Amino acid sequence: MAMELEYDRSLYGVEHIAGPFEITDEIIDRANTSTGESGAAFKSDEGAKEAGYRGRIAPPTLPCILVRQVSLPDVKVKFGKTQMHAGQRVEPKAPVYAGDQLTASSHLKDVYAKTGRSGTMVFVVWETTFTNQDGTVVAEVQESFAKRE
Amino acid sequence: MYLDMHSHSVSSDDSRATVEQYVKWIQVLRKRGHTVDGIVLTEHRKFDFDKDYSDLASQYDVLILKGSELDTRYGHFLVYGVTQALTQAIDFGDVRMDARALMQAARQHDAIALPAHPGRFGIGLTDYIAKGETFDDVTIVEQFNGGSRPGENERADELCESHNLLGIGGSDAHLTSHIATCMTDFEASIKTANDLVDALLSKEFQPVWLENVVDGASS
Repeated sequence: MAMELEYDRSLYGVEHIAGPFEITDEIIDRANTSTGESGAAFKSDEGAKEAGYRGRIAPPTLPCILVRQVSLPDVKVKFGKTQMHAGQRVEPKAPVYAGDQLTASSHLKDVYAKTGRSGTMVFVVWETTFTNQDGTVVAEVQESFAKRE
Repeated sequence: MYLDMHSHSVSSDDSRATVEQYVKWIQVLRKRGHTVDGIVLTEHRKFDFDKDYSDLASQYDVLILKGSELDTRYGHFLVYGVTQALTQAIDFGDVRMDARALMQAARQHDAIALPAHPGRFGIGLTDYIAKGETFDDVTIVEQFNGGSRPGENERADELCESHNLLGIGGSDAHLTSHIATCMTDFEASIKTANDLVDALLSKEFQPVWLENVVDGASS
């Protein structure tokens, strides 16, 4: 008997827009504190300019924090009772500067089942692209959620 | 020749290792005196028809073959010699497929499917055999698996012994430095996936641990 996954397939191909997210000095300070970042380019305009940037930049993992502020629709997976966050990966594409206004565009990438030591789990994968006020893509974040039996 | 029969690149959802990182690490292993002739990329629940690693293979002198690791209701199965026809006959994403049907379909399409890490607690073939399931088509299992927990490879050893099965070895690498931790020593010279299927059918191979493969010989 094949495993037929039941979920809202109409979500494929739909982009969910969120933002703008203003990248303030305070947000960068908090990101630095939470990750222990101490690089000069992340601390001040002067340090960033010395490193070749036009101004203070945010840590490249900042979009991992911002993506948690994006509200995504329920995929309505009919499987299991427990859902958990299953991981993130970020691909920085361009520097994020203090003062940038970022927009997030998210779409459902995949829903699939897998089996392992923990039994059968169903993974829901979302892909979010962050773009700055100039239309430059600054980061792509992939985020997974798992449902288990 | 020595082939790692079970590895995962970034093409699998749970691996962070690129194929280039694997072949570069194999150069490190070779400098340490180990013999590693090639790897088989057995990505989870799919087969990468579109991936071509021939440039990397020739640049680093590493045979790179492609296979699959499929989830079944009786544990994971490694598939070698995958063809378009096989992927049309079997839904590679179906995690509850009957492994027996997979094995039969594989042979019908000149491929071969065999149990991965059969000693794995909870989802290994040994647990299903203990529950009374029978698998008449299983003649080879992955006896040495580099990702096994203590006791699991020993269970695979016992399965081979009790059921008179042949064993292969694969690292099950998901990280660069795990590649080739165990391999299979083939008598035949293998260049293609079809050669690999023939070599498995020939029954002239044995599983080996990397530390026992030095200067082209296994101890």
